[in-house]
Amino acid sequence: MRSVHNLWLLPVAAIVSPVYAADYLTAEQAQKVIFSDAQSFEAKPVNLTSDQKDKIKSLSGVRQRWDTQKIWRAVKEGKTAGWFVVDEVIGKHEFITYGVGLTPEGHVVGVEIMSYRESYGGGVREASWRKNFVGKTLVDPFKLDEDVPNISGGTLSSRNVLDGVKRVLVIQKVLNLKE
Amino acid sequence: MATLKRMRPLLGTFVEIGCGQSDNNAEQAVSLAFGVIEKIHYLLSFHEATSDLTKLNQAKGEALEVDAHTLRAMRLARGMTIASAGLFNCTLGGTMVRNHVLPNHGGASASSGSANDIRISGNKIKLLNSVKITLDGIAKGYAVDCAISTMKRCGLAAGWVNAGGDLRVYGDCVLPVQRRELNGEYVALGGMKNAAIATSTVTTDYDDKFPGKIMSDLTTPYLGSWSVMAHMAWRADALTKVACLAEASQREALIASLGGMIVTPQGVFH
Repeated sequence: MRSVHNLWLLPVAAIVSPVYAADYLTAEQAQKVIFSDAQSFEAKPVNLTSDQKDKIKSLSGVRQRWDTQKIWRAVKEGKTAGWFVVDEVIGKHEFITYGVGLTPEGHVVGVEIMSYRESYGGGVREASWRKNFVGKTLVDPFKLDEDVPNISGGTLSSRNVLDGVKRVLVIQKVLNLKE
Repeated sequence: MATLKRMRPLLGTFVEIGCGQSDNNAEQAVSLAFGVIEKIHYLLSFHEATSDLTKLNQAKGEALEVDAHTLRAMRLARGMTIASAGLFNCTLGGTMVRNHVLPNHGGASASSGSANDIRISGNKIKLLNSVKITLDGIAKGYAVDCAISTMKRCGLAAGWVNAGGDLRVYGDCVLPVQRRELNGEYVALGGMKNAAIATSTVTTDYDDKFPGKIMSDLTTPYLGSWSVMAHMAWRADALTKVACLAEASQREALIASLGGMIVTPQGVFH
């Protein structure tokens, strides 16, 4: 076992943000990550009727909150390679936008978080930044694009996104999105 | 420096993988690293009815051939159960099921056992005395370590993996780390380089957004946020459980003797 005495936490420039927020992919980028073989994506946004919304709720157990769902058809050699759906999860503390890729047969190809916002209301306690970092400097050998800190803390459940994916699979069925 | 950052819902939480380059190789390497985490998720999850772990817990004392990842994680969990004298205890599955913290996949189960109830021989594992294994205290960290190994093998010079707060960074890269406190504040811990950190939270208020629960058959966990740094994420992950269960007067020395160190917003305790 290596000694722990060569482990260090270094001082970094203070980052004061009221929320934790990170952007990962645009819809266009997420489409390409999930369907890397597809040659084009046709926008096919859908306006859901209240009947369809009721059906989605009863089949998935999750309420369909909005009328418009952003959907694209992934096209490869003129055929449908799959469907790409952008969805959102709005919780008490988090706001998550994600993209789901589905095969024409209704299997999940991939799920990519596009943007992630977390707000627990408390903000950043500035005093503790000062206590740790006043009078210290560090020349970063590696400058991250945005100084968005990573969070260590109790494990946040991803259940809400998995429920959302279930709902998206039901949307595919209700709208009969196949070939 | 350009970076590439991706996040997927895995291991019951949100996993972020990032690296210090944004070319095609980076995209592929990050995708492979997510693949490894997904594989480990399906092998070691207590929740998945068909995981290696669930099959092992249902094997009624029969020796079962398991995947190399399962074998490795079980060796680490067994070793830490011995080294921490049961403060970290991977045989508490039965207790967790009885308290509805983990799902019941059937079969009789003892409340808890000891490392002696886990017999490892070749690529087979046998559980004695009806113990049920849970790797919840170590599997996320183990998955982070395996993802990092994959990224290194793919030639990525620097990167990080954050699996719901179990976080490891390597290469020429300083990662700013904050901790989410019980009261919802974010507090700076510092910049981390070539190390891993994990945090466990012990609270009396149940919140289904943070369903993790620490249990012990020896003592009651101390309330608070417990962060531990180590070289490897599996060790940091496991030692947060030891940290919240250890006697306050012995905590820092015990964690140091097990290869970790306690981190608080006020500093680091070797």
